[in-house]
Amino acid sequence: MKRSLTALTVTAVVAAAALTLTGCSGSTPTEDAAGATAGTDPVALTMWGTYGNGGNTAQTDVLNDTLIPSFEASHPGITVEYVDIPYDSLKQKLTTGAAAGELPDLARVDIGWVPQFASLGVLASLDETMDDFTTLADATYPGSLATNAWDGHYYGLPLDTNTRVLVTSQAALDAAGMSASPATFDELETMAANLEGTGIALFADSGLQGWNVLPWIWSGGGEITDEGLTTSSGYLDSAASVAAVQMLVDLYQADAIPNLITGNSGATSTSDGLPSTQYATILDGPWMRDIWTGQYPDFTPIYAPVPAGDGGSVSVVGGEDIVIPASSSNQDAAAEFVRFTQSDEFQLAMAQVGQMPVVESAGSAAAQADPFYEPFATQLATAKPRLAIPQSSEVDTILSTELTPAFDGSTTVQVALTRAAEQIDALLASS
Amino acid sequence: MLDRTQSVAVRATESVSVARTVRRPRRAIHVTPYLFLAPALVLFCGLIVYPMMRAFQMSLYDWKVLAGATSTFIGLDNYSRAMADPTFWRGLANSGFYMALSVPPQIVIGLLIAMLLKAKSPAQPVYRVLFYLPVVTSWVVVSLLFKYLFADNGLINYVSGDLLHLGDGSTSWLSSRWTALIAICALGVWKGIGWSMMIFLAALQGVPKSLEEAAVMDGANRWQRFRVVTLPAIRPALAFVVVMLVIGGFNVFTSVLLMTAGGPGGQTEVLLTYMYRQAFTNLDFGYGSAIAVLLTVVVFVLSLVQMRLFKSGGEDER
Amino acid sequence: MSTLHRTRPMAAVLRHVLLTVGAAIMLTPFVYMVSTSFKSQAYVLAIPPQFVPDPATVDNYVQVLTTQSFAAYFRNSVVVSTTATVISVLLSSMMAYAFARFRFPGREVLFRLVLLGLMVPAMMLIIPQFILAKQLALIDSLQGLIVFYVAASISLNTFLLRGFFASIPAELEDAMQVDGANAWTRYWRLVLPLSTPALATTTIFTFLATWDEFAWALTIINDPGKRTLPLAIQLFQGQNATQWGLVFAASVVAVLPVILVFLIFQRYFVQGLTSGAVKG
Repeated sequence: MKRSLTALTVTAVVAAAALTLTGCSGSTPTEDAAGATAGTDPVALTMWGTYGNGGNTAQTDVLNDTLIPSFEASHPGITVEYVDIPYDSLKQKLTTGAAAGELPDLARVDIGWVPQFASLGVLASLDETMDDFTTLADATYPGSLATNAWDGHYYGLPLDTNTRVLVTSQAALDAAGMSASPATFDELETMAANLEGTGIALFADSGLQGWNVLPWIWSGGGEITDEGLTTSSGYLDSAASVAAVQMLVDLYQADAIPNLITGNSGATSTSDGLPSTQYATILDGPWMRDIWTGQYPDFTPIYAPVPAGDGGSVSVVGGEDIVIPASSSNQDAAAEFVRFTQSDEFQLAMAQVGQMPVVESAGSAAAQADPFYEPFATQLATAKPRLAIPQSSEVDTILSTELTPAFDGSTTVQVALTRAAEQIDALLASS
Repeated sequence: MLDRTQSVAVRATESVSVARTVRRPRRAIHVTPYLFLAPALVLFCGLIVYPMMRAFQMSLYDWKVLAGATSTFIGLDNYSRAMADPTFWRGLANSGFYMALSVPPQIVIGLLIAMLLKAKSPAQPVYRVLFYLPVVTSWVVVSLLFKYLFADNGLINYVSGDLLHLGDGSTSWLSSRWTALIAICALGVWKGIGWSMMIFLAALQGVPKSLEEAAVMDGANRWQRFRVVTLPAIRPALAFVVVMLVIGGFNVFTSVLLMTAGGPGGQTEVLLTYMYRQAFTNLDFGYGSAIAVLLTVVVFVLSLVQMRLFKSGGEDER
Repeated sequence: MSTLHRTRPMAAVLRHVLLTVGAAIMLTPFVYMVSTSFKSQAYVLAIPPQFVPDPATVDNYVQVLTTQSFAAYFRNSVVVSTTATVISVLLSSMMAYAFARFRFPGREVLFRLVLLGLMVPAMMLIIPQFILAKQLALIDSLQGLIVFYVAASISLNTFLLRGFFASIPAELEDAMQVDGANAWTRYWRLVLPLSTPALATTTIFTFLATWDEFAWALTIINDPGKRTLPLAIQLFQGQNATQWGLVFAASVVAVLPVILVFLIFQRYFVQGLTSGAVKG
């Protein structure tokens, strides 16, 4: 016993000593700032992102092995280090980084975060620092570009995009006696009637946030706010918005939509329910192709536009933007890399590994090269972004909190949407 | 040296009920205890207490995340906002429910297993490892697993409905507030038993066997021996486990986030998931800090009350 | 075996039945984790759950051990957890000894302050701590992990050890004091050796806590070469697709050192206060 305690002390002392020594040697300040101002010294850029995609290295490989070397070759004196951050933790890492002034030179962030970080002063406004910003911006999809706007300036450029389309299976169409995917609200309701008694749910989704319900509201001719983002009342609770949500509620109460949509995390997920013909239709994005190929090799998904209502077929824009934190001391070099991300070279290389281009010309080229992207590219032409305001995450909370009681019947859709609109009005007023 | 202390130990434990404090001559303020405290205290105050005070300070501001940004002092506004926020109260109630439902089983079952495992035999180390395995398995993995166990067509519904016919086997456990919280509690209990077992095992090693054997001679049955000999001897450990589990219960976070994410419609939101959402999703650090401070105050008061209760019943007081 | 257990064969049988059933319940999810780590992605989340992987594959392990710099992450975790555990147990036991054995001005206040450290949610401290770490030049370094892990574990360890130290009969120390032993000798030669079960428990807990810590490591580590295992495992969870086979395989690999530490230290549980005397 005595000996092992002595050993413990020795270890502790050695460890403490090692700590002090390495601590001292490791604490040299970084030279980045000096390097940037000198101009001739090499500039080392750091970029954070989530291309790692759960151990699937296809995207990081293209970035690290092809694109970054190509950029470095054409921009002598600039090096780029890409650091992969776990997806669920990127926002937390950006937040703590902003608080301590420890942010990278570039970041690939969710489109919903740009106004939020911009309003806090974390991001550099690219339209003021890049003289060719308008040219670059005009080449991208308007729906994607809009997610970068905040308070009269643009704080990023679109990097990749996606949207949700209607996905169904031949087995479900057969069971409903239909020859093609439902193209309109009416056809969707017909399909629901045809599926009654088969044990197959018409449609499934996993929540009631903007990402989930806005395609229905927009397609039904409704809106969430006016164009100037000043009020939600009169838009979110308009007759068209209410009718679209009412359709979902009616289907839910007729058991054609399972309680996954109201937050039962124990229900079969959409990605499992569709291939197993438990669900006839879902709304989903282009990333599902790889997942299904791996998990359900025998399943052939059928992609179609979101069913059209009075407002046409309108889906929701997803994707990522590239931003430059205002704290970066290498703004010019970072802007060079942002320019590079908008090139056909970058956009098309990423398209091959599952990232849809945001530059319209590259988008059509990618859709031609890989017909799989065609329905998504078509849908993107009319797709809209969610509210580009700093409190977009609160909008999601409001929508799902207020709509849940409407689905379980404890309140009406009209009341739920009116309440939601009032709360969103308050957010708009404060921002 | 070991043998000598042990024989001293045995002699001493025979009079275990005698007061336990070292009685030292009254002297001027002794520097020794501070020397023992200093290294840990310096680290603790510098790296925990100081940030704690900064976090409290944040709660008094409309705090801007950005380094160097000017935040507005708003006094207790964040606190009055919490008082008027139904989600805060629901989170507090849910955290409290989780604590109340998950703590007693962890104590009772953990102690029971420790009693069964304290004897020395070749099989005991194997059992100990088996009971400790849930503690070391990652929260992410076990939360995912329990989500599947409690899924609509998961194992729990299969066993209760198809095998035992206790219900129709179609309970949507995770679709409503209380059933979802029960599922989360089940995970907490399952994962926590090994932890309390460990503490009790360590504590039971200190129960003087001579006393227990004397009790057997006196004809005491198992329960009497437990109550008269074991329980008083492990009292400090029991106090520790109770206080820690209550704190841990109020701080439930990862399992909720991964099993229900606070849903449906915010019904299973607990205080820490709500705090996390305010701070790291809405970037409202002032409000997030206020929620954290309120949680800390509730738990601190509860802990002091518990420790007082344990003290007043104890005999080893100074 | 002592007389307490020898006389009751029925009780022994019952005890084993109880333990076996209990252990089976505790073991099942772990078995499922191990089993899943041997499944290919297509079979990971099959319903009903598969307990015996069919077909079984070691691809997940191959990928975990070859992609990324898993060995480096593993090494980082070992260095951080071992160092933090040793320092923390040493410093906490000293502090606990002071709280358990001395009366001094400020004792109650200081002890409550230490308790407060258990209650404040770690997530709330992360921004102030990060700013502090930056000022101390501890960002992006393993030292930064170790120092803060030690600080974070002091409360729990002190609280746990204080209880155990307090239950060691004071007469022993009085005897030593009469023999002229100073406080350090009493702490080192008497209290620590008599508290091996508690110290073993503390060691096991601290090692596990530091081994599993994610949020702080995420915050201060930028250099991929300095990542610890929890960061690496988290990277297997993607935006739209999580390769659960990889997550589970990495988790199995990660859990082995924790089990090893448990096995090494749990043997001190039978070397407690009275074991030597009663056996003879």
